[in-house]
Amino acid sequence: MTADPLDALRLPVVPVEPRPTFAADLLHRIQHAGSPARDSATVRYFVDDLDAAVDFYRQLGFDVELRPSPVFAMLYRGDLRLLLSIPSSHTLADGTVPGPGGWNRISLRVEHLDHIVGTLRAGGVRLRSSPSTGVGVRLALIEDPAGNLVELFEPLAAYHERTGGETP
Amino acid sequence: MSTVQVRYIVNDVDTAIAFYTTQLGFHEDMHPAPIFAMLSRGDLRLVLSAPSGPNTGGGSTLADGRAPEPGGWNRFAVQVDDITTKIAQLRQAGVQFRGDIIEGTGGRQAIIEDPSGNPIELFQPTRPEARLSGG
Repeated sequence: MTADPLDALRLPVVPVEPRPTFAADLLHRIQHAGSPARDSATVRYFVDDLDAAVDFYRQLGFDVELRPSPVFAMLYRGDLRLLLSIPSSHTLADGTVPGPGGWNRISLRVEHLDHIVGTLRAGGVRLRSSPSTGVGVRLALIEDPAGNLVELFEPLAAYHERTGGETP
Repeated sequence: MSTVQVRYIVNDVDTAIAFYTTQLGFHEDMHPAPIFAMLSRGDLRLVLSAPSGPNTGGGSTLADGRAPEPGGWNRFAVQVDDITTKIAQLRQAGVQFRGDIIEGTGGRQAIIEDPSGNPIELFQPTRPEARLSGG
């Protein structure tokens, strides 16, 4: 019997062994694709009054994503996820209760800083530091109703996003 | 590219840079002055400022004389794949902890401190759909 001359051009059929580990790894990669970078920009602030805090941060352009309980809210502004927690819900095993305040802060880029600060101040928002000019930026420090610090900054002409311009 | 910026006040910028790059995988973007550095990790840019005199930038003493300092409870979170392993590794390196692992609604958390005593939240999500939810 003469062989079909086209057989030489056909790809051989090779039985494939099922590989559960490969499938599991692939599933894991698909489920987690892209998520770590987004999840890396998460900040938690402690607040005494969740309603007052949510109202305040909405003024700064945050959207409420979740409000699942009286002690927690999840807000977004761009890629920043801000978690607001009532202190008692995070009491440590030794009884230590966290609290609002301190000097560490999120730093939000805005346009028309002086106008925004004027509006916030007229609305009763406390300033810790009036707008001042640094290296490449103009910045101000405001406090949320619980006394947490928020830094607002507006780039000036000398500002450069990647390599410098940030005030020391 | 970093799209979110957080500023931490640290007592010693060089010590802080070593901590954040070695223990938590941050990259040093710039360190143009002894009182300032800019680090990044994914979408998070972390700027470090040491307390300094008036009109010196993020660590400035205020007009009323108040000076910034490290500490407090507000913090950023770092997501980790295996919090148990990460904790063991950090303890081995002498890193300070505040309390033990907290079992939250959407994941497991632990709070560590940088050399200046600033808190950082380690977080391992246990529910893919929750990815850091309440509590």
